[in-house]
Parts: sequence; C-alpha cells; structure tokens
Amino acid sequence: MTAMLEATAPPAVEPSRRAWRRFLGHRIGLVGAAMLGIALVIAVAAPLVAPYDPYEPVRVTILDIYQPPSAAHPLGTDDGGNDVLSSLIYGARVSLLVGFAAAAMALLIGGVVGIVAGYRGGWIGSLLMRITDFFLVIPDLALQIVLVAIIGPSLGTIIVVIGALGWTTTARLVRSQTLTVRERKYVLRAKAIGAGDVHVLRRHIVPAVLPLMLANMVLVISLAILSESTLAFLGLGDPTVISWGQMLNFAFGRGAVSAGAWWALLPPGFAIVWVVLGTTLLGTALEDALNPRPKRHHLEAPGSDVAIPVPAAHVAVARPPTTTEAGAPILSVRDLAIEFDAPGGPLRAVDGVSFDLRRGETLGLVGESGCGKTTTVLGVLRLLPPGGRVVGGQVWFDGEDLLALDGRALRSFRWTRLSLVFQGAMNALNPVRTVEDQITEAIRLHDPGASRPASSRRAGELLERVGIGKRRAREYPHTYSGGMRQRAMIALALACDPDVIVADEPTTALDVMIQAQILELLGGIARDFGMGIILVTHDLGVVAQTCDRVVVMYGGVVAEENAATRVFAEPQHPYTQQLLRSFPDLAHPDRPLRGIPGSPPRLDAMPAGCRFAPRCPHAFERCAVERPPDYPAAGGRASCFLLDPAEEGRP
Amino acid sequence: MTAASPPLLRVEDLVKAFPGRRSLADALRGTPAMPVRAVDGISFELRPGEILALVGESGCGKTTTGNLLMGLERPTSGRVVLNGEEVGRLSRGDLRRIRRQAQMVFQDPYESLNPRMTVAEIVAEPLRVHGVATSDAGARVRVSAALGAAGLTPVEAYLRRYPWELSGGQRQRVVIAAALALEPALLIADEPVSMLDVSIRAEILNLLAALAHERGIGVVMITHDLSTVAAYADRIAVMYLGRIVEQGPTRQVLHDPRHPYAQALLSVVPVPDPQLRRPPVILRGETPDASRMPSGCRFHPRCPKAFDRCPVVDPALVMVDGTHAAACLLPEAGGGGAEPTPSG
Amino acid sequence: MSGRGGYLVSKIAWALVTVAVVVTFNFVLFRVLPGDPAKSGMRDPRLNPEAVETLRQRFGLDKELFLDLDGDNPLDTQFTAYLAALGRGDLGTSYAFRDQPVADLIGNALVNTLWLVLPSQVLAILLGSALGLFAAWRRGRAIDLASLSFSLFTWSLPTFFLGIILLVAGANWYGLPTAGRITIGAEFESFAELAWDIGRHLLLPTLTLTLILLGEYMLIMRSSVLDVFGEDYILTARAKGLSTYRIIRHHALRNAMLPMVTLIALNLGFTVSGAIQVEAVYSWPGLGALTVNAVGDRDYPVLQGAFLLLAVAVVVANLLAELVYGWLDPRVSEG
Repeated sequence: MTAMLEATAPPAVEPSRRAWRRFLGHRIGLVGAAMLGIALVIAVAAPLVAPYDPYEPVRVTILDIYQPPSAAHPLGTDDGGNDVLSSLIYGARVSLLVGFAAAAMALLIGGVVGIVAGYRGGWIGSLLMRITDFFLVIPDLALQIVLVAIIGPSLGTIIVVIGALGWTTTARLVRSQTLTVRERKYVLRAKAIGAGDVHVLRRHIVPAVLPLMLANMVLVISLAILSESTLAFLGLGDPTVISWGQMLNFAFGRGAVSAGAWWALLPPGFAIVWVVLGTTLLGTALEDALNPRPKRHHLEAPGSDVAIPVPAAHVAVARPPTTTEAGAPILSVRDLAIEFDAPGGPLRAVDGVSFDLRRGETLGLVGESGCGKTTTVLGVLRLLPPGGRVVGGQVWFDGEDLLALDGRALRSFRWTRLSLVFQGAMNALNPVRTVEDQITEAIRLHDPGASRPASSRRAGELLERVGIGKRRAREYPHTYSGGMRQRAMIALALACDPDVIVADEPTTALDVMIQAQILELLGGIARDFGMGIILVTHDLGVVAQTCDRVVVMYGGVVAEENAATRVFAEPQHPYTQQLLRSFPDLAHPDRPLRGIPGSPPRLDAMPAGCRFAPRCPHAFERCAVERPPDYPAAGGRASCFLLDPAEEGRP
Repeated sequence: MTAASPPLLRVEDLVKAFPGRRSLADALRGTPAMPVRAVDGISFELRPGEILALVGESGCGKTTTGNLLMGLERPTSGRVVLNGEEVGRLSRGDLRRIRRQAQMVFQDPYESLNPRMTVAEIVAEPLRVHGVATSDAGARVRVSAALGAAGLTPVEAYLRRYPWELSGGQRQRVVIAAALALEPALLIADEPVSMLDVSIRAEILNLLAALAHERGIGVVMITHDLSTVAAYADRIAVMYLGRIVEQGPTRQVLHDPRHPYAQALLSVVPVPDPQLRRPPVILRGETPDASRMPSGCRFHPRCPKAFDRCPVVDPALVMVDGTHAAACLLPEAGGGGAEPTPSG
Repeated sequence: MSGRGGYLVSKIAWALVTVAVVVTFNFVLFRVLPGDPAKSGMRDPRLNPEAVETLRQRFGLDKELFLDLDGDNPLDTQFTAYLAALGRGDLGTSYAFRDQPVADLIGNALVNTLWLVLPSQVLAILLGSALGLFAAWRRGRAIDLASLSFSLFTWSLPTFFLGIILLVAGANWYGLPTAGRITIGAEFESFAELAWDIGRHLLLPTLTLTLILLGEYMLIMRSSVLDVFGEDYILTARAKGLSTYRIIRHHALRNAMLPMVTLIALNLGFTVSGAIQVEAVYSWPGLGALTVNAVGDRDYPVLQGAFLLLAVAVVVANLLAELVYGWLDPRVSEG
C-alpha cells in the first residue's frame, strides 16, 4: 500500500510549510480568522465605535425601556433603557477576555500535565491521567455553577474556574502527541547520543507538540466563551460588567419575550455565535492542517476507477487471447496505465504494463518501493484507492474484460475467480468478527445454497489446510500471531476456490522462519489446487525460490520479463543485472555487494526516456530522450536499447 | 584487528529481566508476576575494527542487547565493559562521557531525523549535547569531517538541507555522520538497512565496513537478516530466546553451522538462484514467549534433532574448535562430552 | 475469559474510586471553601452564642473535619457523619423549601430530567449516527458539507440561546406552551388528554436538546466511520465481492460504533450542561432548574445534593458505556 501513498504524496516540502499551505487551502479557516479578527478589533476599539458608554449610569423613564431600533439606538434599548448596540460592543471585551485568559490558563495546565504525563510516563504519568479522567467525567457546567456560587461571581473567579476545568482535553491531546513524539526514532537517537531530558524536551518534544497545542487553544477559547455566556445567562456572571450572556439573562428574565423585544435577544445571541463559530472554524482548520487525517477511503462509488479516454481504440484492439489451447494465459494484462490525482495534475504511476499469467503458474512481480507493482495489481483487481484510475489498457481474465465489468458482475467475479492476500494481514481481517465468520461470509455470499453448517465445516477444513486447525476457527484475529493471521488470510483467499490468488508482499514484516512457513504453504497450495499465483515482492530471493516466471518492474514500467531461471542466470536489462549484484546471496557470501548509485525516480519527476537511464552505467544519448520498447531477449523480453539490433556493438 | 589487541568491548554473562506483565485480576488473585528474561546470560568480545553480527528473529533479545550496550537500559546482572569501564555501573555523568565512545545507528532513516532540523544541526547535535567543540568554527570542522566520512560530499551541498529533501540512503548517511561526529570507538547498528531499498543497502553496508576497517571502529550489527551481514561481518552470533546459541567467524558459521537452530535459520534464507532450490529445514510453530521458557535446552520443543537429555539439560556455549562455539548437547556440536551429566 | 473478567473488575473498581473521590470532593467543596454556608450563617450578628452553638451542633460543625486525633473516637468527625447520612440516603434539608428533605426534592427533579434527556439523547444518537454514517460515505459531497455546516453551527450556538429562539418561535407561531411540564390547574378528561398536554410541553425542550446534541454525535460518527473506511479489512471486504450495503452493515458499523460508545460516554457532561440550560429556559422542573434556583436561593444542601447526583450519574453512565464497549469489542480482554 506504500506505493499508492507515495504516488499521491505531494512533492518534498518542509513539513511546517506544508501545514501552512494546507491551512491556506482551507477557506473556512481564513473565514474563521477574519470573523475572530473583526470581533477583536471591535473589542479593542469599543470606546471609539460604541455610540454610548453603557457603564455610564442613565436616568430612564418607563418610555426608554425596550425601545425598538431607531436612529438614536440602531439596535433599540434594553430593559434598563440602555443602548443595546453599545452594550453589545462592550460585551465583546468581556467575552474575548474571558475566552483568551481562561484558554491560556487551560493551555498552561493542560500542556504541562500532558507533556509530563506523556514524557515521564510511569506512575506520575498514570496518576496525572487518572486525575484528568476524573475531571473529564465531572459535568463541568454543574461544577462551574457550584464553584462560582460558592466563591462568588467576579470576572477573575469566572476565568479561573473555566480555565481550571477546561484543561482536560488539552492534556489528553498533548499527552498522546508527546507519547507519539517520544517514541519517534529521532528522540531515541538523541537519548542514545546522551542528551538529557531538558535538551530532548526543548529541542525535540516541545517544538513538535507546540503547534498542535496552539491550534487546540483556539478551540478551547470557543469553549470558554460559551461557558462564560452560559454562566452569565444562568445569573452567575460578574454583576459589575456587561457581557453577552448577561444581556440575554436580563432580557429573557425581564420580559423581553412578552414585550416582543427581539432586538434585545437576538444581537447578543448572534454575537456569541459569531465569535464561537469564528474560533471553531479557525481551530478546526489549524488542527486539520497540522494533523491531516489519512485520505484513504475504501468505499468509493463503483465505476469511477476506470476512465479509459478513447473507447473506440480500446474496442479495436480488444480481442481476448484464446483460452482453449493448452498453456494459454488465464490472466492477460495489456498496456495497463494508471494515474493518481495530485495537486499539480495527475501522476502516472503505471505506464503500459503487460504480462500474462498461465493456469497453475506462479508469477513474481518484483521491484523496489514505488515501482508501481502494488498499484498494478490493485488496478487489475479494480481496487484502486480514490483518486486513482485505470486510464488505458486491457485486463483479460479467462476471456472476460475485467475493466468492462459493471458493479454486479465485478462483485460476483471477485473471490470466486481471483482472490487476494494482503501485505500485513494485521489489518486485513476485521478485528470484531471471528475468523470462521469472515470465511463463511465469503462462501455463503458467492454460493447462496451453502448451508450454515456446511460452510462452517468448509471453513474448518480450510483452516486445517493452512495449519491453524479448526479448533481455533471461532477465535478473533487478535488472538492469532502475525504468521497465523497470514495463514488465516490464505484460508480466506481459498474460500471460493479461485483460479488465481494475488499475494502482495505476503511475508514482509514476518520473521524469516515464518516467512519460510508461509511460502511453503503458498507453494503447496499452488501445487495441490493448480492455482495461478501472482506474488508481488521486493525480495529477489523469495522470487528465485518460488516463482516460475518473473516480471521486473522499474518506475512504473516492465523492465524485463522471463522465466525465473533465465532472469537470474542471464539478466538482460541493466537494472536487473545491477539489482542482482546488490542483492546478498548466502550461496556466495564472499561476493561483494554493489549498490546502484542514485535512487528510484519520483512520480513527479519521471525521466523522459528510459526510466533507468539516470542510474544506468551503460546509458547513451538515445536513452535520455526515447522510451525503449520491448525487445525479445534470452527467450523473454526486456526494455533496453542495448538489445536493439541497431545498437549492436555497444557493451 | 589482530587477535592480540585488547578488546574494545567485553560483555560478560549479561542478563536483563523485565518484570512480567500482570493484569489487575491476576493481582487481585495474588498470582505473582513472572520476570521475563529478555537477555539471559550472554557473553562476547569485540575488538577495534571488528564487525560482529548479532542475528536472530524477533523476540530473541538482540535489540535489548543493543540498548544494554549503549547504557540505555541497566543490566539485571552481568557486565558490559567498554574500553575498560563498566557501562552498567556508571553514574549519569560518566555515562554521558562513555556515550561519546559508543554511538548508535537506528533502523529507520525516515523516522530517526528530526524534520525541523537541518543536516548541519543534526550532525552538530551530539557535539552540543556533550559540550565538545563549543566554538562555531570548531563545530563546523567536525561536522564537515563527519559528513565527509559518511560519504556526503560535497559537504556544502548538504549542510543546509532538511531531511525531507534527502533520499533514504542519504538520510541513513546523515544518521551515520551524526554518530561519527563524536569520533566514537564503537557503533551499534540496529537493522541499519532493513528499511532501505535493495539497491541502496549495499552502499550503506560498504560504508559501515569501511569505517570499521579503515578507522578501527568496532561495529555491532543487530539484524534478523543473515544474508545482508554475510559479506560484511567478521563474526556472527546467533541468538535464540535471550541466549547466544552459536558464535564464531562468519565463514565457519555459514559453512559449518553446528547448532540445529543456526542450521535451520541458514536453510530458510532465500537464495537468489532458482537453480539452488534446497529443501529448507522449516521449524514448526513459532518462537515461544520468553515468559514461558522451556525447560532444559530452550530450543528443544522445536528442535528436529532433540533427544531425551534436551528437555533436562540446559547446554552451555562451548567451543567446537578454536574460535567457533555452540550451545547444544549433540556431539557434533561439541556438547556431548563437555556438558556434565546432571545428577538426577 | 479471565481477561474479560479482569476488564470488568478494573472498570467497576475505577468507577467506585471515582465515586469515592466525587463524594469526598463534594464534602470538601462545601465545608472548606470560603463561602461555607453554615459558617457564614453563624456569623450573623443577630444570633446569640447559644444559638450559634445549637447551630454548630446541628450541623455537626463542632467536630473535626476528617480525623479527630484528640477525641475518644478518631473517626467521629464531620466527614464520617456526612458519609453515614449519605449511606442512609439523607442529603439534609433544604433551606428554601423548609423541612423538605433534599433527597425527595432531587428525586422528583431527577424523574423530570430523565423525561427530557432520555428521548433527546436517543433521538440525537440515532439521527446523528445515521447522518454521520451517510456523510462519511459521501465524503466531500453535498450531504457531507451540509451536515458539517449544520454541526459547526449548532456547536457554536449556545444551548440557552437556541432554547430562547425556539421558545419564541414555538409560542408565537404554534401556540406551544413555554414553561413547566403540564398545564397548571387544568382538568384532564382522559389519559390521552393528559399525554397530549405533557407531549406539547415536552416538544420544545426536547427539540432544543436534540438539535444541540445531534451535531456533536454526527461529527463523532462521521470521523469514526471515516477511520474505519480507511482500514484494510474494508478493502478485503470489497475484494471478497461484498456490496457496499453489506460492507457498511457487516464490517463498518460495529467497528465504527466502538469509538462512538466511548465518546458518547465522554460527552455526557455535555448532555448534562445542555439539560441544565434547557430547563432554565423552559422552567422545566428538573435537576438543572433545581440547581440554578438553588444558586439563586443560596440553598446549599440542595446544590450539594444535586451536584453529587449529576456527577455520580455521569460516572455510572460512563461505566455502562465501558461495559458496552467491552461487550462489543473482543479485543478488550487483551487489557
């Protein structure tokens, strides 16, 4: 899955600048900042913009009360005959003061608690988190009411009470962030260097945690403003100052509703909404920019994953390879091209890949990270992530064009003809359903006639076959070890007796002995069931030990294809040659390893000609400008100009 | 490099036990927590300029061993002696001093560099931490020297760059440069290439080998992958469940493994040659949890050659010939006569 | 199964510890803080020393707070007296309603609050989950943006303000009652009429609380479902040939409900806060209104009792959520 993540990743940009760019991309964040900014300006400039000073005592008659809006009082007057607009403007000061002061206090407490709990851990950490949990379950408005009622409602008390109760979410957030950063390898490395806690905190932890803390503070401000206005509305505001909540309290409590004085009710309410909405938008956008959520979404609407631009040409070439003759391919991929959406326009991750798989054959799809091997199989399976689509080529499976199947046909094709074993079976099984349940689901889905006991029996047999035993069928995946989960995944792949299994890095992250067990199992299954297997891997050793044919990929294209014995004995493409020379070989432990200078090309900077040319020791002028076609070589094919008869004489 | 030179690092009977995990329910029931012996009595020596590979599967204790060597964890018993000083017994200040001599190279070059720091800052960080080369000019000289030694030339092209501007191989070189800045005598490399692409690995391994052979730095390479270290290590120590089960010069361990576990491990490493498809010795089951240590030889439940004494006698690591040792009761592993028969 | 038993035991133990802390906290809050009601009452200069002494004895203020090391019985203190009274279900007597036991007042108020909170809570959870699920599935489409905007707006809306707006609108345009839970002094011919009257009184407060809670639950469900949709097992389910409906029903829903359950529990404080405000606006005779009135009357025994009940209720509800979580997620036995 790394391949597609890399494919969609933006080009190298400094993390903080990337976050900033993401924030600017959020228009709602800018709107929020503007809303908050306007409120701040009004609060600061209150004496300049307010028509009256609401703190100035006024002499009122009964006629001044609840005056509707007029030229003298644009928003009318309230129950005390005061100008609503002026109170509104001065009220901004109280709301924002309480909001910022309480949030700053909450940030300080929460930040310290979170960093200490996260960095120190141990019993101090758990104690602090227990205290945090305690405050988290206490209903805060109730406690605020009690505290303010007991201590007495002054502005200072209100700030302290809101701040002292508002730090818990910050503490939890900071703690989890600190825990993450603390386990980062660069922090471990700093400790291994011999750096003390102060250095680690100052240089590594705090700079990493601070931005998120500030983003969180913006959200805490909105909470504090809401709390203040609620307390004031409930009659627990500081009686000596004017705040929006208090304006609402007085208006609501003193007959504004029956007097129909909407002007005394709506402005302070919407003023609160304005400020809280502004801070919430700003805070959400900041948090999202600093901590973007993964964009993966495996449930996109069907059909959007194939967008081949010229259907006419497609039809013209489309002719299913004949499958009647012996040894004919069951799966044929022709000129497959796949693109991913990216900020700077679509990137082509796979560009004209072709290969065949015969029945009962094991085909190795081998290459380094980012070469497009996983993307290729996901495209073939029609399982590309959102933003990725097939833009060219054909995929023939036993005479059927997979790219032309509609949703229903595709669903009934899946798993019955072609199934899949993922990289990292840790997450490929649903953690809240038993293994048996997940196997029988596939059986009963594709064979509605299968009875529950029969499919359960079949699941047991499959689990026996992969070496788990039916005794453990009714267990949940988390009780299995990594190797057993991969075995369960293989049992699941066998559930509907498919013709082909695609195994994507099935042994990566497993210990070498477990890897051997899994490969032995896969080999046995291919033999016993006559199944075709596509093995996607970066490990040449695994390919050599298990595959009949090999497709070597580089930079989204096929560099070389041949029978396994010949690829290893007489590699034709310079990339294959170099790769073999850099791969350790226990059979010849004394042979020195030679790496390939440079690194694989990035999707956004693909060489114009041959993709390997910049790293190729034999490259000449033609390689930089022209893309090499496939040339027949050593019984297979390779895409290199050195094999062009016209270039004879070159090394 | 000669056998006569005094050892740079001596590890004697090193043990690290972690308190066993215990659930609240167990605590209420009074079930005692069983300590887990992640490292259970290992000994070896390393000479300047020598590369030792600690090889084993996950859970064998190789990473804990690395942390013990660095003084990142304190041993339960046993000694780690670096240049004549015992690491585990040092005070905080002395530990910092000794850390200048031992540096670590981590597995993941994508994670082990702070994205907010430039290459120059990263490589200078150890100097600042240890108060070495406090002048800017002095620091610059040492940073440049370290980057050059790690193969990042021209140095000026890298100083001001951030990790995200570098490829995986270049990042790992920066990690190595930071380790070299303090001119250490010992490098602990924990899976230094496992996260890198195959075509990049050889260059990093060649760099580490050059540092050992040309600068006399001792290297302990911790890995699960026998094949990557085969061409580089002078000696190999194979670990299983907290013990070294076989140890010796690379060539002898690879060509003539004596311990059945080492034999099995060697047989399952895939060789990139379809002509050489050997029947691997595949061990059944998985490495048991260190909290449920088998009796006698800890490998016996999975050993294809186990016999009646194996569940009873815990074999010691004994020499099969001058430099090659194995911990097995089988006569061909040298264990038959050397092990005293238990009285019971 | 022992792991699951352990989970149960540890969660119940933690809930008990929290309740113990709440009880102690509640005691300290009202005895130690500067505004101590009994003390300030006794500073009234019109009281003679005997009266003060009588009051002190009546409130047990002549005893030590926590531990009496000089007396015959070190545990004969204000705190133990408070605990003993709590054990008997005795929360003291209200100042404002003379001789009314606080426990009775609170009990009646609690019933009324539940009438309000339970329907709103159930409605908001059901609607919020459904909307959140749909928004996540249609990420970035119109329905998603509309629900997001709605949530952000209700989040920014103070509950009491929404209550006022709905009250004005409901009363003016639909003639709905705006205060209390039943028409005072009305005679009801049948049960149906009574139910109709109560229903009309319930409508506006319930609507307010539901709208306020809805946005929050929708946001939680949306993000939780989005997390699940990104998991590899959803890709497995697709590769198996399951239809979108089946994937959502059998693979996404239960997994997404897990964080939802926890977050609903964590948000109970938010529910309480909403209920207090709604009751204040609609004069709904529940715990919230009782609390607010007690503040106005300086009726400390009622305040103390109401706070204790609210806090314990949230702790208990949290415990229930944890137990539901343990039942839903097979992995909790891992600890």
